[in-house]
Amino acid sequence: MSHLSNDLPSDSPHFSSEEIAVSVRHLDYYYGQGDLRKQVLYDINLELSKGQIVIMTGPSGSGKTTLLTLIGALRFLQEGSLNVLGQELVGLSKSELVEVRRNIGFIFQAHNLFDSLTASQNVEMAVEVLQDWGNKRQRAVEMLAQVGLAERVDYKPKALSGGQKQRVAIARALVNQPSLILADEPTAALDKQSGRDVVTLMQTLAKEQGCTILMVTHDNRILDVADRIVNLVDGHLESDQNFTAFSQTHDPKALV
Amino acid sequence: MRVPLAWLNLVHEKSRLVVALAGVAFAVLLVFMNLGFLGALAQSASMFYQYMDADVFLVSPQTLEISSSKAFPRDRLYQAAGIKGVARVMPLYLGYLQWRNPETRDSRAVFMFAYNPQDRVFLLPELNTSATLAALDRPDTVLFDRLSRPEYGSKDIGTKTEVDRRTVTIGGQYELGGGFAADATVVSSDQNFLRLLKIPLNLVNMGLIKLEPETDAQAIAAQLRQVLPKDVVVKTKAEIIENDRSYWITSTSTGFIFGMGVAVSCVVGVVIVYQILYTDISDHMKQYATLKAMGYRSGYLFNVVIQEAIILSVLGYIPGFLSSVGLYAFAASATNNALPVAMDWQRAVMVFILTIAMCVLSALISVRKVVTAEPVELF
Repeated sequence: MSHLSNDLPSDSPHFSSEEIAVSVRHLDYYYGQGDLRKQVLYDINLELSKGQIVIMTGPSGSGKTTLLTLIGALRFLQEGSLNVLGQELVGLSKSELVEVRRNIGFIFQAHNLFDSLTASQNVEMAVEVLQDWGNKRQRAVEMLAQVGLAERVDYKPKALSGGQKQRVAIARALVNQPSLILADEPTAALDKQSGRDVVTLMQTLAKEQGCTILMVTHDNRILDVADRIVNLVDGHLESDQNFTAFSQTHDPKALV
Repeated sequence: MRVPLAWLNLVHEKSRLVVALAGVAFAVLLVFMNLGFLGALAQSASMFYQYMDADVFLVSPQTLEISSSKAFPRDRLYQAAGIKGVARVMPLYLGYLQWRNPETRDSRAVFMFAYNPQDRVFLLPELNTSATLAALDRPDTVLFDRLSRPEYGSKDIGTKTEVDRRTVTIGGQYELGGGFAADATVVSSDQNFLRLLKIPLNLVNMGLIKLEPETDAQAIAAQLRQVLPKDVVVKTKAEIIENDRSYWITSTSTGFIFGMGVAVSCVVGVVIVYQILYTDISDHMKQYATLKAMGYRSGYLFNVVIQEAIILSVLGYIPGFLSSVGLYAFAASATNNALPVAMDWQRAVMVFILTIAMCVLSALISVRKVVTAEPVELF
């Protein structure tokens, strides 16, 4: 297996903003208010370059998903700095956050497809958000062909297997050629082979479209697709390494 | 073209859609039935007057509506007859008889119209044929309403029965209907009224004034109000119809019941549609949250729910309307057409708008949930 060895510690020299997709600076985040206020992220510094595949791991409750949703412009932000695709998210209104989301593809643990819509219609919903009516069907069909579902475009989710549904969800996330893809445990609901296929597919499409992928996963079988692995523990960025270094330092045998 | 999400979501769950449409149709049916009865109430209240050949009416100030009238001196009519423009004055006597069903011997009240056979009080052609006029002149003889309820027994000409210890014969028939005021009506001469009810004829219940052609009823009524003392009230035909109509609709429990029926039916409809929409939204919360993550705004989801509500209202209205037309026909035939329930386009349009309003109201109540769909909850 080959891996890019662009190991980027968080204090690595700044890249020009042209090459940076996501830049997180001194980010703190809290849940709750008043006495119940609890800090979940502590001084996070992270930069994702364009075209990188970054996997975020860490134990449950470490704040991975919170960080993912923050980068995805799904939460309000008050402190620190979070720049996504050249747009500073801290201080943006709800409506402005919605605009940012339109440049991001989300892939969830569940496929979240409408049972009432065909595969193509589910993908078309993503094209419609950009007010692109003319060739939406054509774009959806092409995208579904790229994820290997050319024969299934007019099937409803009920007639598709778990892996096929997740591929429809990927097609939906990628059809607008977003610059950033955020994935949350995309393989958790799939068997080994389908999970592998889905990740490989994401990797291939990401390289073709040159987009950045940030993926949260517990699935050790897919760590090797990553250019970088970021480990988050108790809200702190514990390590930021390439796969080889990560597998050496985090191998249970090596820790003995 | 946009993916018609609202429509596809609704038709995807076929059995739920059928239940929803049945619910809306049922609410529409209930509204139509109540409005039908309310309309019949209003119409039957004015029906007596529509058939009377008079332009201005005199009643006692204590008279609330026709079937509970109080008497006033007959002299007022003779005073009115002196006004220029008045063609004819006709005293009308009203009262209740205890009519014994000759078969079962049960007595029930019938509403009685009595007048001088020389006067042509009613416009009904059957009442003005020489045979019925001859029957009117005979003592202890009445004409019986063919639209009376069947509990009164035989309505055939020649039937004899007992009324207040006198033998009375049915001498003819006509079709009027008692509406909500009476289950049966009879017409008799003023002389028979005196014989049967023993009320002196110098007290009349209603004064009918027929005007010369081309005369302004409003002006004559105004003039009569000046001339006549305060023991009579002067009303034009339109005014007395409106008086009886508003009496039945606003100050009787009958009108209240049907009005409440409409309100309750609407509440039933709102609850049913709310239930369906809420279930549908709950089932799709993840998908709606995903749409929000994709960059859709709450307004889009709001529109989807409103569209679903409008689709439900339009599709539910159609069967509701058709079954109402059927039930109207059934209600009219069950009451021998005495209950004039019929569909008119104003009511059809009004109920259609009401149905949409009802469904949109449900949508507005349930839409709060869809607006709370949060993409962060998908993780």
